[in-house]
Amino acid sequence: MKPDSRIGAGGDSPPAGSGTPLVELRQISKSFGATRALDDVSFEIKYDETLGFVGANGAGKSTLIKILSGIYRESSGEILVEGQAKAVSSPTDSRSIGIATVHQNIDDAVVFGMTVAENLLLDEIAATSSDLFMNQRSILKRARAVQEKLQLELPLTAPIEALSASGRQEVAIARALVGAPKLLILDEPTSTLSARETEKLFDAVRDLRRRGITVLYVSHRMSEIKMLCDRTVVLRNGKIVSEQEAPLDTRKIASAILGELVLSTKHKSRPGGEPIFSGRGLRARSDSAPADLELRLGEVVGLTGLVGAGKTEMLEQICGRRPVESGAMRLRGREYAPRDAAAAIAQGVVMVPEERSMQAIFPGESLWKHCTVGMLPFFSHFGFLDRRKETAFARDVIQDFRVVCAAAEVPIEDLSGGNQQKLLVGRWLKNSWALVILDEPFRGIDIGARAIISRALREFSEHAAVIVCSSDPEEVVEVADRVLVMVEGRLRYGGRADEITSEELSEIMSQTSAQDRQDAREVTLQ
Amino acid sequence: MTKQDIQPQFESAAASPQSALARTKDLIYKYGLLVVLAAMIAYFSYAQPFFGSFINAMFILQAASIVAVIGLGCTVSMTVGGFDLSVGSAMSLAVMASAGAMVIFDLSGPAAILIGLACGLAVGLFNTFLIVVARIPDLVATLATLFLVNGMTLLGVGGQSVAEGMSVDGVAATGRFSPVFKWLGSGSLLGIHASVVVAGLVFVFVFVLLNYTRWGRAFYAVGGNPIAAAAAGIRVARCRMAAYIISGCLAAIAGMMLAARSNRGDVNVGDAYLLHAVSAALVGFAVLGANRPNALGTLTGAVFVAALINGLTMFNFPYYAQTFVQGLLLVVALLMSYMLGPKKRG
Repeated sequence: MKPDSRIGAGGDSPPAGSGTPLVELRQISKSFGATRALDDVSFEIKYDETLGFVGANGAGKSTLIKILSGIYRESSGEILVEGQAKAVSSPTDSRSIGIATVHQNIDDAVVFGMTVAENLLLDEIAATSSDLFMNQRSILKRARAVQEKLQLELPLTAPIEALSASGRQEVAIARALVGAPKLLILDEPTSTLSARETEKLFDAVRDLRRRGITVLYVSHRMSEIKMLCDRTVVLRNGKIVSEQEAPLDTRKIASAILGELVLSTKHKSRPGGEPIFSGRGLRARSDSAPADLELRLGEVVGLTGLVGAGKTEMLEQICGRRPVESGAMRLRGREYAPRDAAAAIAQGVVMVPEERSMQAIFPGESLWKHCTVGMLPFFSHFGFLDRRKETAFARDVIQDFRVVCAAAEVPIEDLSGGNQQKLLVGRWLKNSWALVILDEPFRGIDIGARAIISRALREFSEHAAVIVCSSDPEEVVEVADRVLVMVEGRLRYGGRADEITSEELSEIMSQTSAQDRQDAREVTLQ
Repeated sequence: MTKQDIQPQFESAAASPQSALARTKDLIYKYGLLVVLAAMIAYFSYAQPFFGSFINAMFILQAASIVAVIGLGCTVSMTVGGFDLSVGSAMSLAVMASAGAMVIFDLSGPAAILIGLACGLAVGLFNTFLIVVARIPDLVATLATLFLVNGMTLLGVGGQSVAEGMSVDGVAATGRFSPVFKWLGSGSLLGIHASVVVAGLVFVFVFVLLNYTRWGRAFYAVGGNPIAAAAAGIRVARCRMAAYIISGCLAAIAGMMLAARSNRGDVNVGDAYLLHAVSAALVGFAVLGANRPNALGTLTGAVFVAALINGLTMFNFPYYAQTFVQGLLLVVALLMSYMLGPKKRG
């Protein structure tokens, strides 16, 4: 890998109209046991385009990306690069035919404890062909050369952990570009970024396109696809169901992604009954504007906003996981100020946290233990647990939420993400609580699981107040009776869910994010 | 995958017919260590009939009892994801404090026992302060406690051992080990040695606590994922505190058992027990495929080591090779639980 090879150069793409696409996928199929993750998938990636690749969770997007990046091998089919069939059987193969992938989790692509320069040249440092002796100076020198070619400005000598999430992502993308790829795959690049960081990423992607680098942009967010892509390919249940050229019609894309299930989840907004929870003068962060929030019996409230808008911070205050910034809360008319999550649960306020594997999963523990862990007092007498009652409860959850599993005794890792989520949400919907808070309950789950959870939440809300938080406006419209939009810590909009479409909600979010971008510019000018 | 999810539950998600190899692996993983233990006992009893006698069995259990009690304490601290290196020093402190209370201050047996327990409690609370309040990593914090407590014990007795008739400021101490206290080391109940009875009671306490109470479940939850435990309404700090207090108190009980057996308090006697206790707890990971700290496993580990050393001694195996054999046992047990166990996915 020579550092002086064509980094970021768009000049050597063949003359337009030559007809051969950069990458062509022919009848790619992939099976895992009896499950067919990809079924006869064929499409082309043309030179110099930004191709949006969308689909619901579990549609097979990540399987296809793993095939292109050499992590999985296709069961059948062919990959052609510049007209020639290529075998992609390892990540090294993938890189050598000019495909670079930046995976969803940025922190998998950077090594903490190393400088930005070292991270940038990681592939070179790891290569067996490189010099045995390297020192900071020679690495820095080469990193500077790379930086110059890529026209980037990175703090090369800073430790990587000093950078923000978007800064680390910039390094990860730059690292992918060091090898002068023909195709850059970005897998859900905005999923861990804040609103402002997302804007920076968009600028970076537009810049790549200007330089003539072909990008395969994977996302499930309509607004991003519309903003960035020339063309989209929609995957559903492992099949290509739609291909569209710009100008993109997000409604058409959405219905292609969701299929017929989207119709079955339509509903009328219910008015909501007596107030269960009210908060006056709450702030998402100490510098946010204060907001009032009322949650009523018999309605599902959907809270949306871009990642980093402050939704989670607000909800965590309500469920006792974070100290209250300001204001006062009342629960069923009484003063409510939980000291911690345990106190909140004791008063009937429960929360399904955002990060499943980090905040809800106990590695190696069985399904039934996961079902009861948050409500152990219900299953014990004088501290002694009633195991029969626990497993009976777990079987109920498994049955009602159609959790696909061998038995209630298997470890939770045996389940797919969607089934884990059904179990982890379902366990809270079997008892009477005052308020149930769900933070991104649909993240990383497929559409079937989403439908089951949505339906259960609407039923459950007859007896409790429910608030669902999601950065995807479609999900919110699908499940909620009333919608709230949070922007930069402020509640910007509130209204009935059946009077607004997800596109309109995205618009509210994108309008304001354009304003924020303006703000950001002003800040940098100062 | 949608179709699969909507299908009814309890289907063959993982129920594909297991290969013979996988099944064998699973059997070894679960019962391997117990089979080795049984085979060893059978062989020793066959080759040396005295090994299998009731008297020798009592010797073995007696030898295992102190290690088992401290090991059970270590086990509790491991369930909350911690690691208590200070058990040896807590043990030494309890030895010196309880022996000193009787010999130097002429206090009664029950008072000495209470003082010993208070030492364990104090060490547990100090560890809690370092780990929960100051947020120092467990291993580092308890290592610091180890040195601090050992040093304190040495300072307290001026570096000498505590024994009946010892000289304190030039005058012979008049205090005696009380009979109540001595019973811990040499008494018996229904023909079973007192230290075995005490260890048995401690085992039942820890076993029931960890397996049948919600506190035990909470301990494992904290050890498995403290963030998720807090989100599920478990008071993580309180669990950690309880675990370290239990660990300190059990170490103190073990110390008093030792002091009662030897009728004296030697400086830093606990040091040697730390590693034995930790290795008993770790060997225990492999018992019945638990792959985590558990009471039954720790007890098995302690008995295993005691039986092994007893048997080897009977066959005139050189004492200096015992450590090697014990290390071998630990490695084999760890290999069993980590190589044959279900792979934890990240």
